[in-house]
Amino acid sequence: MIRIKGLTHAYPGRRGKPGRIAIQSFSLSVAEGTFTILAGPNGSGKSTLFRILCGLCLPSAGTIHIGGHDLFAEPAAVRGLMGVVFQSPAVDKHLSVAENLDIHARLYGLTGATLTDRREEALAWSGLKDRLKDKVGTLSGGLARQVELAKCLITHPRVLLLDEPTTGLDPAARRAFLDALSRIQRDRGMTVLMTSHVFSEAEDADRVAIMREGLLLAHDTPNRLRDQLGRDMLVVSAVDAETLAPRIAQVLGVPTSRHGEEVRVESIPDGGPVPAIDAILSNFRDEVTSVAVKRPTLEDVFIHVTEQASDPRAGEAAE
Amino acid sequence: MTNTTTTTDTSYVPPDIAHAVPTRAGTASVSWTLAKREYTRFMRQPSRVAGSIGQPLLFWIVLGAGLSPSFRPAGMEGMTYTEYFYPGVLMMMVLFAGVFSSITVIEDRDQGFLQGVLVAPVSRMAIVLGKVGGAAAIALSQAVIMLLVAPFLGFPMPVENYPIILLTLALVSLGYTGLGFMVAWRMSSTSGFHAVMMLVLMPLWFLSGALFPTEGLPIVMKVIIWLNPVAHGMTLIRAPFYQDAATFLIDPGYLTSLAVVLVWVGAVLTISAKRVAKRDIGAKV
Repeated sequence: MIRIKGLTHAYPGRRGKPGRIAIQSFSLSVAEGTFTILAGPNGSGKSTLFRILCGLCLPSAGTIHIGGHDLFAEPAAVRGLMGVVFQSPAVDKHLSVAENLDIHARLYGLTGATLTDRREEALAWSGLKDRLKDKVGTLSGGLARQVELAKCLITHPRVLLLDEPTTGLDPAARRAFLDALSRIQRDRGMTVLMTSHVFSEAEDADRVAIMREGLLLAHDTPNRLRDQLGRDMLVVSAVDAETLAPRIAQVLGVPTSRHGEEVRVESIPDGGPVPAIDAILSNFRDEVTSVAVKRPTLEDVFIHVTEQASDPRAGEAAE
Repeated sequence: MTNTTTTTDTSYVPPDIAHAVPTRAGTASVSWTLAKREYTRFMRQPSRVAGSIGQPLLFWIVLGAGLSPSFRPAGMEGMTYTEYFYPGVLMMMVLFAGVFSSITVIEDRDQGFLQGVLVAPVSRMAIVLGKVGGAAAIALSQAVIMLLVAPFLGFPMPVENYPIILLTLALVSLGYTGLGFMVAWRMSSTSGFHAVMMLVLMPLWFLSGALFPTEGLPIVMKVIIWLNPVAHGMTLIRAPFYQDAATFLIDPGYLTSLAVVLVWVGAVLTISAKRVAKRDIGAKV
């Protein structure tokens, strides 16, 4: 449904200096009806990619096809298929919920009975039923976001793009927003591509794409990405994790990595976690505050994948 | 894990998708929707309403009272400054409506409402017309309030001149807001726009004959004024106050000004639509 091929984007440099490359030969295919999360640290090129996908910006090189249309050659055809939820609110807070929905629908040529039906449909899933006449500016952050989503869904897009839509929401509002989104996504078989840096959001997605410094580092199902890290890992908390990490690596004979005050053993040596814990405790009991066996989360995968890419010795992983 | 980059190429495009494109809304209906939004939004901000009516009114009363005693241009004996300045104040309302409306473009485009409009399947001209048309509607509703007092100021105007004045104001408003839109579109901050406004948009009004008669000015100023489209707009607005429609509609000076204003409106709207359609392009690598 979305097919990105060899996308490269550079921002023009100032006064003869070379431009900054935001996206580098990025290729990604999103199958129809899937929910894909695009994750990456700040500055990884997510937002640039998003702007290009919305048709607001043309890349230096590469092609994007959405629903079979070339995004750069026929932007108008693609716009009709697509709904976009921006990070900053694109609703008019001086207008009521109903007015905002109405304006958006009319931009897509929806009028009369269809418009009424679509509005009813939006009210059925959202918490906006009693707030239709209220100005958007008076709604809570969570409800305002729902207006944003409802507005985009009212046109029945085949493809929905969302740019960190849950930023600034409390956990309950975030959950409500994502639940509504994924329910509608499944019901309509809609293709959803959403950028995020909250990894708990990615756990339920069909696919997760991880990008960093403009490169696609991984694109797979959450489970397969977790499996890349092995089943379990050991997390050792210590005050002086930095000096402890290489010593644990020596004792266990496997590589370790350090994250703040934690030493992580991502590949537990043969024999399982118990002998490894035993070895750590018998050698460094006084330095260690806790040892835990942890199933990797997507956040761990993310840290692993992006670190590997930044490590020159593992450079081939990025290419 | 030597290679973590996986690119699955399973995208499949069902043949019916091409037909699933929703019917595109027409330019007129989209412009109307956007202009209506502009107007509703304006009416819901009492401070904006008060400011945009109050400021020209204040200008008119204060400048009129202050300058009337010394206002004695040749050939205009018997006219008070308050009276002379009245059409200029109407122009000022158009100017302010245009400027305020253009400012909102800057915030709306990157951080607000316009983001959603830009990704919608609507013609780029409709986006321009919606904004500019909304500003014209705002200017007109202010002008109507102002025009209600015209009969009491000693303008012995025939009734049919009122719609002509309103039409003229609408036309000039399209040109003025279009100009503001064109300038504001690529700007990233509202403070930058203020500079442009003080250096370009305001001088266009100062040098339009709204504030002082242009007769007897140095030749350089006359040339500048002749080149100023707002001055031609001023000619169009002023004519119905003093003449019958039958007289000014065949006056070559009036018709020239009308042609200039029409070209101006056409040009700024076209350029604005082009600027909206233009997408940032990545640098060559």
